[in-house]
Amino acid sequence: MHIPDSFMPLTQALVYWVIALPFIFLSVRWARKELDDTKVPILAALAAGIFAIQALNIPIGMGTSGHMVGAALVAIIFGSPMAGVLVLTLVLLVQGFVFADGGITVMGANILNMGVISGFVGYYAFVALRKNKLSISVSSFIGAWLGLFVSALATAVEMYIAGTFPLVAGLTMMGLYHLIIGFVGEGLITAIVITAIGKSRPDLLENSFLNPDQMGVIA
Amino acid sequence: MSATMSGKQNMKFLYAGIAIALMISVLAPFLASSDPDGLESAAFGVIDEAKMAAMEELAPVFESPMPDYAIEGMGKTGEVMAIVIGTLIVLAIGFGLGKVMKK
Repeated sequence: MHIPDSFMPLTQALVYWVIALPFIFLSVRWARKELDDTKVPILAALAAGIFAIQALNIPIGMGTSGHMVGAALVAIIFGSPMAGVLVLTLVLLVQGFVFADGGITVMGANILNMGVISGFVGYYAFVALRKNKLSISVSSFIGAWLGLFVSALATAVEMYIAGTFPLVAGLTMMGLYHLIIGFVGEGLITAIVITAIGKSRPDLLENSFLNPDQMGVIA
Repeated sequence: MSATMSGKQNMKFLYAGIAIALMISVLAPFLASSDPDGLESAAFGVIDEAKMAAMEELAPVFESPMPDYAIEGMGKTGEVMAIVIGTLIVLAIGFGLGKVMKK
């Protein structure tokens, strides 16, 4: 879902930077408040793993493929969508500058879509489902899947405003493809990783949902 | 769990994370689908060919050293190297930035 520079006029690309920057700022503030020496290795491992898995495109049929985004996964583990914004900003910076994956001027839009929207929707859907007593694996699956789907729809609307996609056809195709990508690439992988961490390191997930006082609070 | 205890456990998490990330990096060039991703695929579906071709002609804003996760003339080896290098860059920045930003 990495928008290339050619898909969006510069003025609009700058508008998305303006929207994304406060979130990036808040994610840095989150790190200053929440990160300590013991949590830095977790953040670094997740960032490296998400960069790698984003290079692994999964075929979904219809001559199309897709990959995981990972913002919801990071947000669930750290108990804050700001952690997802931070990791995705870092990953998108390296992808854009070193590998020409996703544009430079449109990076603000890509950070907004993949870091902010997929992470916030994914995380708060997860929290809502957990509050309704759904299991960790089901909540993380649905949350991550929904996060990716909504961010794909947002991307389609941005592409319409940019004059690149027609509205209905763009929404339909982006929605259809990412419904499937979100199911396999985002939902399944997120649920597997969260379940594995829940079994091996339940203490890591304390912020997310084991402690009811902190549920859904932006740290 | 005490702080030192969880600190050690978290370093284990880091090593496991690095191992998994590097394994994916090495396998990705062989396993990844080369089909266009959802956004590109939608673009091919909704944008007419002439406009699409014109958009693809545009020079990139920034010359990336390893565009499309490849190193020119190095085939699959280059792709493995590119993704491994990327993973290590993200790991290093993630660790360094985390250390700088932490409370």
